[in-house]
Amino acid sequence: MSRPALWKPVMLVASYAFYGAAGWTFCLLLAGITIGNHLAARLIARARTEAGRRHVMVAAVALDLGVLALFKYYGFFAQEINGVLDRVGLGLSAPLVALAIPLGVSFFTFQAISYTVDVYRRTIEPGRFLDVALYLSFFPHVVAGPIVRAREFLPQLATPRDPRDVPVGAAVGLIALGLIKKVAIADYLARAVVDPVFSVPQAYHAPDVALAGYAYAAQIFCDFSGYTDIAIGVALLCGFVFPQNFRRPYGALGFQQFWRRWHMTLSRFLRDFLYIPLGGSRGGRLFTARNVMLTMLLGGLWHGAAWTFVLWGGLHGSGLVAERLIGGRLRTPAWLRWVVTFHLVVLGWILFRSPSLGIAGDVLGQLTDFGPATLWTVPVVLAVVAVIGLQLVPERPIEAFRLRVESLGPAALGVGLAIVVMLVAATVPSQGVPPFIYFQF
Amino acid sequence: MSEPEIVPPISPATRRRGAREALMAVGVAALILLIAQGPSIRRTGERLDPGPIRFAVLSVGRPAGWLGDRLPFADAVHSVTAFLSPDENLSTAKGGFSEAVSSARGVPPVTPDAFDPATDLGARPGPRRGLRTLLVTGDSMAMPLDAVVARRLAGGNATQVIRDPHVGTGISKSAIVDWGKLSIRQAGRDTPDAVVVFIGANEGFPLAGQDCCGAAWAAAYGTRVRTMMNTYRRRGAARVYWLTLPLPRDPRRQVIARAVNAAVRAAAQPYRAQVRVLDMSALFTPGGRYRSNMPIGGENRLVREADGVHLNEAGSELAAGAVLRAVGQDFRDVPGG
Repeated sequence: MSRPALWKPVMLVASYAFYGAAGWTFCLLLAGITIGNHLAARLIARARTEAGRRHVMVAAVALDLGVLALFKYYGFFAQEINGVLDRVGLGLSAPLVALAIPLGVSFFTFQAISYTVDVYRRTIEPGRFLDVALYLSFFPHVVAGPIVRAREFLPQLATPRDPRDVPVGAAVGLIALGLIKKVAIADYLARAVVDPVFSVPQAYHAPDVALAGYAYAAQIFCDFSGYTDIAIGVALLCGFVFPQNFRRPYGALGFQQFWRRWHMTLSRFLRDFLYIPLGGSRGGRLFTARNVMLTMLLGGLWHGAAWTFVLWGGLHGSGLVAERLIGGRLRTPAWLRWVVTFHLVVLGWILFRSPSLGIAGDVLGQLTDFGPATLWTVPVVLAVVAVIGLQLVPERPIEAFRLRVESLGPAALGVGLAIVVMLVAATVPSQGVPPFIYFQF
Repeated sequence: MSEPEIVPPISPATRRRGAREALMAVGVAALILLIAQGPSIRRTGERLDPGPIRFAVLSVGRPAGWLGDRLPFADAVHSVTAFLSPDENLSTAKGGFSEAVSSARGVPPVTPDAFDPATDLGARPGPRRGLRTLLVTGDSMAMPLDAVVARRLAGGNATQVIRDPHVGTGISKSAIVDWGKLSIRQAGRDTPDAVVVFIGANEGFPLAGQDCCGAAWAAAYGTRVRTMMNTYRRRGAARVYWLTLPLPRDPRRQVIARAVNAAVRAAAQPYRAQVRVLDMSALFTPGGRYRSNMPIGGENRLVREADGVHLNEAGSELAAGAVLRAVGQDFRDVPGG
């Protein structure tokens, strides 16, 4: 970024063009959110009283959450409320509309909230409009994160990036790794096992259903962390550092550890903007448990407007509360804690993946229906074992291998990337590559 | 404003280089891909819907494809990586629409297949036979209809449901998947007793030199549909249930959907004995007006996806009900039939 004055508008236009490819009308929404939060941040900085600052912040957060609620949750809640009203004999009904969900709305509204609230908390000063607009729309993270905080991104815009300090090897390596994870592993597991079982669970017996649970755990990790790897790699090439989002989550020995390793930027957001404002652990056990449960239930709902996501959040919330209550009283070997945590996480993924509660029940019911295994093939089992197993082995040898790859010369990196793309492209079926799972959130 | 601590995505030991070396790495990769994957880039562009992205991809893909056609690298890469491909070759080539469509001279005769004996001629329906294999196919419109139908037929009876949707494909775009060829493959491989087809989300591509959506385009499209219907009905051995498109929200896409639906109705005329056209347009968008919700069992429910094109789970349940009622008129022991 040797010419920041030129670079920023060019990158802003490019980011909007990228985002607008999914539907140009969504650009208006993104621009509206940007203008609203920028004005709010300016007003907060100028307000003379604490009450004034607070009112503006609340209004801006209400705007962001209102957008999220309207586009993502209106149809779901209107349908549920109408159902309840019908059942109690009241003929009233909220109008039902299926609004097109803007791509990445959950991510850019959360980033907008983080900006305004951080200005309110005096963690950062209000940014220049161009910087804020670029922060919210920057193409590597606008669609599915990671959820980068304004206090992480805006300072990077304030100082020119050093063109002699680009981690080229790491960036190219991450992009290649992300492609392999998404296209060669996640999509393969979806086609071979996960989609068939979760579409018609009645057609499969316990061994296949169990395999589908493990396979989905591997699929969603590869899908989401693959996207994150690509986003981080592209940002690194542009000179920006995004926070890490995954760190061997299936090696966790408990739910607390899991959430420090899975979708780390969301965990951090929920902690700073929901759990702590609710009171965090500054009260009794029951008070803390309530805050944990509320945070996880809302965290579940953030993923989508469906009861399966709420239940998934509830399962993780219960796990976190149970860990706090038991905390240190039970002495169990590490391997047992891993087995229990991992399988509860997989149980959660079954709820998460099921299109409805009814189908989740069918999937779980089929786990007791013993019969022949029809989907257990060598490539599927190898893929699942490799994805989960690599998170359990020591980090050092993998890190050493990564550093060796990253230290290759630029020509070798380019050839390596091209070979990976060609190999991965060969595994793409005629139907193309399905969207990343987190695009729908 | 100081830079706060970031959980770094890379190791501190990672080697740093200059921006020129970054450009070189990306440039080398891009050059190799242009030379070795040019035809693939062109094919990818050709399957995209008209618009700026298609234009951009084809702007690169056409010259890269031209170059790739003249160099041996693309073929070499294809040969080396072919074992990784999950697909059969279903692109336009031998056995596709281009071969199946022939020009008949004179007036084509009306055949007995053009009449549904029960509804057209008032004849007593024949005995219904058992349904062993049901194929549900199409593009993304067939999802989650395929799963709903499979779930409804999973409870105890002996019907095998084969779900074979091909997302992103269309009858009017044959570059990647030629439905003329695919339908022959499906009918030969699965020999289904009944075939449910729900397709049309990606139509509107020029056919026989005609842009969508005039009578000439509808005629060309209908000819392709008729070819597929004839394949699926297997000389009268199978029944075909072809779902028309519920009108989409976008007025421009509505024009395409109307042409597709008209073509489907016209295409089915010679095969009324075996082909049933199930009118999803009347069910979901009566009067030609888009609606995202409708009353189901006394409750007002959303039936369309947010994209304004596809049916959601509740909508697919309704469509599956209509499908199984129609299937139940031809086959015995069909739940909901």
